[in-house]
Amino acid sequence: MGRSSQFGRAKDVTMPAKLPVNFFSTRSPVIDLFRGQLDYADHLRQDSEIVLYFFYAPWCGQSIAAREEIEHVASRLSDQVLFVAVNCWWNQGKCRKQKHFFYFPVIHLYHRSFGPIEYKGPMSAVYIEKFVRRVMTPLLYISSRSKLLDFLSNYEPGVLGYFEFNASPQPPGYLTFFTSALHSLKKDYLGTIRFGVITDKHVAEEISLAHSGSVYLHRHVNTSLIYPNDIMNYTAENICKWALENREMLIRWLRPHGGKSLLLNNELKKGPALLIFIPYNPLAEIHPLLDEITKVALEYHSCNKSQAAEPVLQHLGDVDSPAFDSPVPDVHTELSETFSITKYPCCNTVVLPQWHSISRTHNVCELCINQTFGVKPNKVNVPHCNFLEIEAALDSFYLQEHTFFQVISNTIECSNFLSFYSPFSYYTACCRTVNRHFLSFISSEKTIFQTPKVAFSSHGKKDKDDTQNSIPHIEDRNCFIPDLHDNGTNITGLSCRTNKTLNLYLLDSNLFWIYAERLGASRSTHLKEFAAIVDLKEEVHYVLDQNQSLTGSTLENFIKNFSVLYSPLKRHLVDDPSVHFHAQRIITEVTTNTFHDTVFSNEKNVLLLYYAQWCGFCASLNHIFIQLARLLPPDNFTVARIDITRNDLPWEFMTDRLPTILFFPHQRKEQSVKFPEDFPVNLPNLLKFILHYSSLSSSDHCTKECLHKETVLQQGHISHLEREIQKLRSEISALHQAHDKLEEQLSKARREEQRLQQQKHTLEKQHKTLQLHSEQLQSTYDQKNQELLAMAEKLQELADASENLLKENTLLRILVASKEGKLQLKDKAKEPVQSEQTLSDDNDVSVSTAATTLGEKRIDNIDTIETEHSSENRTG
Amino acid sequence: MLRSLSSLLCLWALRLPAGPGAASRGLDVASYRERVRAMFYHAYEHYLESAFPYDELRPLTCDGQDTWGSFSLTLIDALDTLLILGNVSEFQRVVNVLQEGVDFDIDVNASVFETNIRVVGGLLSAHLLSKKAGVEVEVGWPCSGPLLRMAEEAARKLLPAFQTPTGMPYGTVNLLHGVNPGETPVTCTAGIGTFIVEFATLSHLTGDPVFEDVARKALKALWKNRSDIGLVGNHIDVITAKWVAQDAGIGAGVDSYFEYLVKGAILLQDKELMSMFLEYNKAIKNYTKFDDWYLWVQMYKGTVSMPVFQSLEAYWPGLQSLIGDVDNAMRTFLNYYTVWKQFGGLPEFYNIPQGYTVEKREGYPLRPELIESAMYLYRATRDPTLLELGRDAVESIEKISKVDCGFATIKDLRDHRLDNRMESFFLAETVKYLYLLFDPDNFIHNDGSIFDVVVTPYGECILNAGGYIFNTEAHPIDPAALHCCRKQKEEQWEVEDLMREFYSLKRNKKFTLKRASDHGEGESVQDSVDASSENGREKRNSKKNAHSLLSCPSQSFNSKLAVLGQVFLDNT
Repeated sequence: MGRSSQFGRAKDVTMPAKLPVNFFSTRSPVIDLFRGQLDYADHLRQDSEIVLYFFYAPWCGQSIAAREEIEHVASRLSDQVLFVAVNCWWNQGKCRKQKHFFYFPVIHLYHRSFGPIEYKGPMSAVYIEKFVRRVMTPLLYISSRSKLLDFLSNYEPGVLGYFEFNASPQPPGYLTFFTSALHSLKKDYLGTIRFGVITDKHVAEEISLAHSGSVYLHRHVNTSLIYPNDIMNYTAENICKWALENREMLIRWLRPHGGKSLLLNNELKKGPALLIFIPYNPLAEIHPLLDEITKVALEYHSCNKSQAAEPVLQHLGDVDSPAFDSPVPDVHTELSETFSITKYPCCNTVVLPQWHSISRTHNVCELCINQTFGVKPNKVNVPHCNFLEIEAALDSFYLQEHTFFQVISNTIECSNFLSFYSPFSYYTACCRTVNRHFLSFISSEKTIFQTPKVAFSSHGKKDKDDTQNSIPHIEDRNCFIPDLHDNGTNITGLSCRTNKTLNLYLLDSNLFWIYAERLGASRSTHLKEFAAIVDLKEEVHYVLDQNQSLTGSTLENFIKNFSVLYSPLKRHLVDDPSVHFHAQRIITEVTTNTFHDTVFSNEKNVLLLYYAQWCGFCASLNHIFIQLARLLPPDNFTVARIDITRNDLPWEFMTDRLPTILFFPHQRKEQSVKFPEDFPVNLPNLLKFILHYSSLSSSDHCTKECLHKETVLQQGHISHLEREIQKLRSEISALHQAHDKLEEQLSKARREEQRLQQQKHTLEKQHKTLQLHSEQLQSTYDQKNQELLAMAEKLQELADASENLLKENTLLRILVASKEGKLQLKDKAKEPVQSEQTLSDDNDVSVSTAATTLGEKRIDNIDTIETEHSSENRTG
Repeated sequence: MLRSLSSLLCLWALRLPAGPGAASRGLDVASYRERVRAMFYHAYEHYLESAFPYDELRPLTCDGQDTWGSFSLTLIDALDTLLILGNVSEFQRVVNVLQEGVDFDIDVNASVFETNIRVVGGLLSAHLLSKKAGVEVEVGWPCSGPLLRMAEEAARKLLPAFQTPTGMPYGTVNLLHGVNPGETPVTCTAGIGTFIVEFATLSHLTGDPVFEDVARKALKALWKNRSDIGLVGNHIDVITAKWVAQDAGIGAGVDSYFEYLVKGAILLQDKELMSMFLEYNKAIKNYTKFDDWYLWVQMYKGTVSMPVFQSLEAYWPGLQSLIGDVDNAMRTFLNYYTVWKQFGGLPEFYNIPQGYTVEKREGYPLRPELIESAMYLYRATRDPTLLELGRDAVESIEKISKVDCGFATIKDLRDHRLDNRMESFFLAETVKYLYLLFDPDNFIHNDGSIFDVVVTPYGECILNAGGYIFNTEAHPIDPAALHCCRKQKEEQWEVEDLMREFYSLKRNKKFTLKRASDHGEGESVQDSVDASSENGREKRNSKKNAHSLLSCPSQSFNSKLAVLGQVFLDNT
């Protein structure tokens, strides 16, 4: 809102901010330095190996929300980690004076003197705890071969260092390697790169590390690397940088931090993306689903077909195959004496032919070949598993297959067999029973083995009877006919063979389920698993059938279906589940799912408004549409609307402006018409628009049916008119009321008028007396005026007289002066002229008389001046 | 509530290896709603107790003062908030108090702008909501009523200010004597262009066109005086039409002018106002927008004069969302939100390159603008980030500015020193928008699925069908009410005639065609859209630029994923 100016009228009463108080409770394992004592915080750090600082502002909502999470982590780790919370807002505190944060809370971790490592992940206890644990033990200790395999099988990139601790307790380079692990946590706050250390020579040999101090970056698809000591300096930063630059990202976690970010924009702009939502607990030891997804991702990216790119599959399978360990170790140990062994299995899913199984079930077996062979020097980790070997294994498998038919069940059963053909390999088969309808299409699929009895499982999309399917739809034209597309395409290495390469991403549905919901994840499932392929450029997305559970094989199929030339996937249309159908509603609310039924399978004329709640221009039309819906005969017309931001529609029904009004005439639904944009949307215009387009259909020649129609219409008209009459009646009553009220007001006004007239009378009387009074005053005024004039005249006379006197006075002065001059002359001539004395005496007398008269006159003159003054005072 | 919830979470955590937090990301909206309600009553009750009938409460000294006039401003401003909070009885009581107690025949120099938005706007919205609040209304309602008469009286007191050669009003007027001799002719842009919502509503309800006419004239005068590059400055001389302050931006001094162009266009379905706004919008984007911030520029040259963000500018994302520019709105909103996170409020001025407050402009008088935008955007996106801003606002305001007698303006955001003032917009806007953010089912958010039918002496009309237009002081106006009191019987008769057509079987084609051609060029337009939907899409695309001004673009595909801070760059 606008303010033109600011007032500062309040007196200068101000109040300093309240003093800080405890943010954490005193019983909390977190030390709360609520006065911002940063120096004390630094002091505390010396006592503990691992320290977590939680810098907060007491007013900050995010700090308050994170407080609980920190306390939770602290309660679990307080014996190993020191938790210090510092109020970094209070302006008297040291922290505020030294640090300048743009947001709160800020979490810093220290591993002894190393730090600060800022935690930037989600403010959720499990993630924080995981990160703290990583800081506590940045290096995983790889003590055995199986641990090594564990480490290597992970989907996230791993860096391994080999250090010989026998020679010295602190082998050269170890500290640097350790620091680089910490360093990577600083750089890569999601902690995707894991660091491990091998101390055993034999384990190190597995990955061809022979020299203590060498560092190895494991990669699944590309060749793994050894840190080039000769090219780059062996520093913590360099190792970290090298690992970050060269790591392989087959599948990535997306963790938006909540602030403004282009993360999704940048990732999705790269091309179509498969977003997989799974609930993820970073603290959990095992992630079976994640392992399955990893398997798919590895397969998808392993481009050299002859290479079974995943050395891990077998290992992943371990969880499922308890039988694995029993027969094998003998072979293993035996062979390891002569060969440096590692296992490079190649797995394929095989489906046992139907006639083997009980009618409604299928047996699906995972067949893996495990080989042993020598590691070639310098070429690390080249798995070798070729077609012939698989075929050989398959033969062996079929020879043994009868053993499986005794154990048809829902649980997974595994067995290991030594290959008949090679002494160095054996294979594992894990079988389980799968519901039949998942496999309804596999019969048409070919296998690379060309064995009619065996097929790769491809869980074809369930052709369920969805209401969406009935919507006319561009994609409908390439209707899903399973026979047309060749699902024989194996997923292995598919990413290199297709021109629709997918990038794979993981999202934790505990944190980011909202994205899944917006892509159409059903809100009813409590299991938060969801997968969608988003193609930003094409503005479409596909969703993995939510009636299927998210497993490796369903994902595989999903990817395959996306990649094939004529994709059977349908653009997913998100619909608003919160809308419920109300029969009573005067305006029908349409959603994606009800669109077809309401608009096309409807015998009426339909007027459809496209709107969005946020669009100001739509909301202000509400009342017009309500009026329209109340006016139109409900038997022939439906007024409907659809919130287009919450309900996707097939392309041909989309609109790029809101509001848009479409009219679907009865009997010619395909000929929808748009209300012209240039016309103001008001009741008469809408009615005209409807009339214009609904009229064209009416037939001219009248039959019996038409007569019937006529009566129906007329009845409608009658009821309409009745409603109108009702309305008019109420209007009349309203008018009556208004009339009464006006009458009342009028009489009130009349009374008021009378009162006013009376007042006027009295006022007139008063006016008259006042006039009289004023006349009297006028006459006295005139009188006084005349008197004043007379006075003024007199004064004028006096003034004239005084002026005359003044003239005389000057004349006399001149006379006196001349006389005096003469007298002086006479005094000089006294002696010579004695006779003249008598004459001058006479003259003296006359002069003195003249002087006395002059004096009297002067007094008179002063008097008149005084009177003049006083009269002026009075008039003034 | 919160406490019990957290203990529940802990129990749950004991049973499962997974910790809490993951699940606690969702905000407890209901508990925040109740906290906002408690905030309102804490301030409101102390105003009644210690400050009424003064304009405002002084929360540090627990007394009152007159600020913008002498009409119990806080009470008028808070009136419709009472109803939004559902307190019908207090609403009714206050309506009676105001009818008896408020007098505009006073020798007071009042700001034309503030009196309009707070007093006229407050009374108008209270008038339109009074039936919903259970006040017994008179027969002619909503075309007559005591509150409407008060609003009209107050507005008439402002009319003398518009008697200038340009039609642009003076900034200040004496309620008793009109414009004082020697009054300065310099008025800020917002003080000229912020009348159309209230004045057009008044004209439509009372039937006196004078209000709408003066408001339109003032708007057109500003439009005429825009610079060559299409910008308006900050202050103008209303006699000579010379720009006195030539800073152009979207914030203080200009803000609600743009706001009212859009809201006026929506309220009145007025293309002219909208086309003005779109022209300005283009110039604003061209000259003032940098990296989703909006700076201040010289209005003739377009050179940057102040690289600051003002607290008042935070209304802009909300306005953009009303016209469908949701992704730009969200991007700018996220910028502004970072400033809030830094200080616990928005400083009046924030220097963008320095990332800090500006000298003498460090205050935060509990302004509503950012929360207002959050409310609008939440309607559009349902993005939880917007609720988080609401949470932050509740926590900050409670922790920082709550005192024994109310909520005090923050004088300095750097140290959270408080000032002895609680502006009336705190109860009128800040609390209202916060509450509406946390109450998605409030009647104000009605999407048109419910409505009232009212019979007036002028006919039947539909009211309260949603789409409320908030004036710049957050007083909601029902756009449907504007169609209630127009005494245009012609339209009604026309509708009657047309309805008769619907019931006659042998429809007269000539008749309908003739009707359609009543609109001149309408014939050709109708023909061009007569195409079947088969190839309709291409046609629509080719006519993209010819779309109606009174419409929003539909949202792009990537808007599905544009939540939790994610923004997308245009494909172009």
